Amino acid sequence: MSGGAIAITERAASRRRRGLIENAQAYLFLLPAIAFLALFKILPAFYAVYISLFRWDIVQGAFRGLDNYFDILWQNATRSQQFWQSLSTTVTYALITVPIEIALALVVAYVLFQKLRGRDIYRTIYYLPYVTSTVAAATVFSWVFHPQYGLVNTVLGAIGISGLTWYQEPDGVFQMMGNAFGLAVPDWAAGPSLALVGVAIFSIWHFLGFQILIFLGGLGNIPVEYYEAAKLDGANQWQLFRRITLPLLSPQIFFVFTIASIGVLRAFNEIFILTNGGPLDTTRTVTLLLFRTFFQQGQIGLGSAMGVLLTLMILGFTLIQFRVFERRVTYT
Amino acid sequence: MTRMRIPALLTTLALLLGACAGAGPAATSAPSTEADIEITGPVSLTLWHALTSDPQKKALEDAVKKFNETNGKGITITPVVQGNYTQLYQKTLGAIQAGSLPEIVHAYESQVADYQKAAVVINLEPYMNSTKNGLDKASQEDIYKPYFDTNRFPQYGNELLSFPFTKSLFVMYTNEDVLTSSGVTSTPKTWAEFEQAVMKTTQKDASGKTTRYGWAQPLDASNFNAQVMSMGGNIMSADNKTVAWDGKEGLAVLQMYDRLWKGGYGYTPTGFDWQNDFAASKLAFTMGSTSSRPFIAGAMKTPVKWNVGVPPQTDPAKPRTVMYGANVAVLKSTPQKQLASWLFVKWFSDTQQTADWGTKSYYMPVRKAAANDEALKSYWSSKDQQGKQAFDVIGSSIPEPNVRGQQEIRDVIFDMLTKVTTGKATPEAAIKDAGQKANDILKANQ
Amino acid sequence: MNTPRVLPRVIARPMRPRVPPIVSTAFKHVVLIVVGLFVAYPFYFMISTSLKEFFEATVTPPTLFPTSLHFENYAEAWSRQPWGRYFANTTFIASMTVFGEIVIAILAAYAFAQMNFRGKNVLFALFLATYMMPGEATLIPNFVMMSKAPPGVNPFFPIPRLNLYDTYAAQILPFLASAFSVFLLRQQFLAIPRELRDAAVIDGAGHLRFLWSVVLPISVPALVTVAILSFYGSWNSFQWPFIVTSSDAVRPVQVGLNAFRAEAGSLYHLLMAAAAFVVAPIVLLYLIGQRFLVQGVARTGIRG
Repeated sequence: MSGGAIAITERAASRRRRGLIENAQAYLFLLPAIAFLALFKILPAFYAVYISLFRWDIVQGAFRGLDNYFDILWQNATRSQQFWQSLSTTVTYALITVPIEIALALVVAYVLFQKLRGRDIYRTIYYLPYVTSTVAAATVFSWVFHPQYGLVNTVLGAIGISGLTWYQEPDGVFQMMGNAFGLAVPDWAAGPSLALVGVAIFSIWHFLGFQILIFLGGLGNIPVEYYEAAKLDGANQWQLFRRITLPLLSPQIFFVFTIASIGVLRAFNEIFILTNGGPLDTTRTVTLLLFRTFFQQGQIGLGSAMGVLLTLMILGFTLIQFRVFERRVTYT
Repeated sequence: MTRMRIPALLTTLALLLGACAGAGPAATSAPSTEADIEITGPVSLTLWHALTSDPQKKALEDAVKKFNETNGKGITITPVVQGNYTQLYQKTLGAIQAGSLPEIVHAYESQVADYQKAAVVINLEPYMNSTKNGLDKASQEDIYKPYFDTNRFPQYGNELLSFPFTKSLFVMYTNEDVLTSSGVTSTPKTWAEFEQAVMKTTQKDASGKTTRYGWAQPLDASNFNAQVMSMGGNIMSADNKTVAWDGKEGLAVLQMYDRLWKGGYGYTPTGFDWQNDFAASKLAFTMGSTSSRPFIAGAMKTPVKWNVGVPPQTDPAKPRTVMYGANVAVLKSTPQKQLASWLFVKWFSDTQQTADWGTKSYYMPVRKAAANDEALKSYWSSKDQQGKQAFDVIGSSIPEPNVRGQQEIRDVIFDMLTKVTTGKATPEAAIKDAGQKANDILKANQ
Repeated sequence: MNTPRVLPRVIARPMRPRVPPIVSTAFKHVVLIVVGLFVAYPFYFMISTSLKEFFEATVTPPTLFPTSLHFENYAEAWSRQPWGRYFANTTFIASMTVFGEIVIAILAAYAFAQMNFRGKNVLFALFLATYMMPGEATLIPNFVMMSKAPPGVNPFFPIPRLNLYDTYAAQILPFLASAFSVFLLRQQFLAIPRELRDAAVIDGAGHLRFLWSVVLPISVPALVTVAILSFYGSWNSFQWPFIVTSSDAVRPVQVGLNAFRAEAGSLYHLLMAAAAFVVAPIVLLYLIGQRFLVQGVARTGIRG
């Protein structure tokens, strides 16, 4: 009896020892990742908050509590006006980009999913923009949309639309259409500036391939039997799409929606190259405003406060997206 | 993580050592001694500049090379392009924060005013007046006085924080071929003549679409400032606390833009593309810095007769031209490096060097005596007659403001011009709003 | 064959209930070609402009095909900036980032997938949290961290100052730990059958040996995916290197291209030549590693 007890304790002890070693090993494996994440991701989040509490104008100045936030949100007339305008620009940018992106990608993925000659070639071409650097691609875009020498205005000129200045045009697109037909469009209905529409076209171009990819994956998951059963019940093509494809694709649509929204919130390189926030601030999204405040005006404290606000917004979207994403992954 | 800390640790050590060595504020407050020391060993310096394109870029690189080879004190300078002036400014602000500055930086006056908020710019006055390393009285007087005026900063006790470097002037470019073919017989002298000439040189097709513009004007705060001055106005009020461009002259400038843009006579070009139109005789006039000359020449497929001259004036008897172009500032480093930087700045303004610079870079020489330089004289008479004309009005040119906040004000002016030329605001409303904003900025920067 | 022939009404005219197959196929091609042109023409315009002479590049309307080919534009653009240096810098930075990121991610992913230890769930949650932290949150503090402490400022507290401004390290270190790569690899390592591990334990193999000789060889596709995505991200990154570099010695190619925009001015033919050679390596990599890249993007999509 006592011998058995000893054996059990020994076994328990050796298991504990092994457990300790395993624990130590695991932490050793994790150490580099944890160290780098802590230094460049976790701690900086706290530093960002710390910096945002100071007047930090090229050099660190006096502690000002939440005044930087208050300045951005309402206290300082110019700053708050700029911030809210940039937020509204960002939302407008998202509103004209995301739905078109999704619709276009859906259509293309749908067509591309079928057995078709040259499918791989199409696919290769469609993904190409997504791998191209935004700096190079945007440089090319500003050339393609050049008011005088660009291809776009030449094509538009052929159908009677001429003189568009694209990335320099602060006028709203609805206003421009109204003017073309001799209608006076009120300011509130002027719509996004043509420059912002140009930036949106770039975004759609750049991210289309990625979204097609996600939708193709989703389409592959829909069992063929569903369609066959529905056809037996006399469903027409449109009904098949409405009643089967669309609902079963909804996780992907939602995923793409959140990803694209985050992408818009974070967009920097392409806007920096194409318009640098101009003309008349009509393309100055929150990221661009943050960059200007921080890097061009040397207002680190204010910039940091903007960064914290922007992060909270992105986190909101990411949380939603992550929920959906995790669920999708656990299923597969 | 521990690995990461090592550089920081070294920094602390270095700082401690620095403090022990007595590099405290006491040492910097006696600059006259720092200006009188000698270069004791090899010194390497970095010069950040904004001359992104040839021939200017090459001219500067050649000059630096010449200095490196001939200074005899072991000073080596490395020039680094940091993009255009705006990007250079951003980079320098970033570098100030990062604590990793170049020794010499190319900058506009108002940018220097911003850098000095962090107290990183060296006052060059003691260096210039040093009996050992400075400029003698004659040389100081030989350099045009406006060049000194613009580099002395009232907000910083009138210290000489920068030195003339890439100086140019605001001028009007005229395509003589277009003028002749349109029946305009002489280059407009007044603004009224100018406006008429712009209309006369503009060509439109049957549908009313402009096929050749009279005027292309890149929207820019400096160009606006210059136009306000030539209309007889001022940029800043006498006490430098408020702007003065929002007066009746500024309004007149905006109204002229408004009329000519609405009528299809003037347009806003993309970047420097007006150079192509100008060279292809698809444009009659433009206004801007003298430094565009080589690019126009380079864009010419067939030779075109063109001219550079004083912009139209409200009172042609007393022409007012704005001094353009940037300066160079020496940033805080070590006494050795600061002195070496000054020696380069000084060398760059030598009569011989500044004359040579004038022939290669299309910028203005900074000394009166350069006009006697044979090479420059023959260059002017054979290749660049406009260069001489421009040089002669340096003495009466007026610098732009060098106050803190001017960089932000430039954005305000740019927005105002955009609003007017795109019809988003009336000249009256735009200038009122912009003037208000500019004065707020000045107030916040007092 | 079994693929449903479902054409949404958005494309097919609503008045036609059934589209004959042949028309429908042709119609599909029309849709695909139109979209393909939209996607591809900037690339075409870039290449064609890059081969034109200056005066042809700036003619209105633009010519579709260069009247004469000027390959010397590439040499001219190349000679105007230290591109060789930029490419070397980018290659070095990207390779180091890929290598470091992979090693760190393999170890961490393995620990999460195959080891039992205290606090596993908490730590994993922490990784999740950093995954959600956007770069914008850390842009300014990381910049301040890379700076040198100004005189009189404590270089450790509250913010450590690493004094790495304008170095390779500043462009590599912040990207070494990627929660994303850890997830992707963990997913892969979780799928490794329990029996393999049991057999290895009986053979007396420790974790490192098991990882090296069993886990890694069967995870090559996932590793390649992580590597390509990481390389691609590093090669194309712009904002951070733009902020944190100031000399040609460490400047990467994207920052160089941005600088060249200013230098080229109206010389669009040279600008397009530069854009073309900046884009070329990554496009080549894409064409070669398409399968892996596509897989990686499909799985995640957060990159870029």
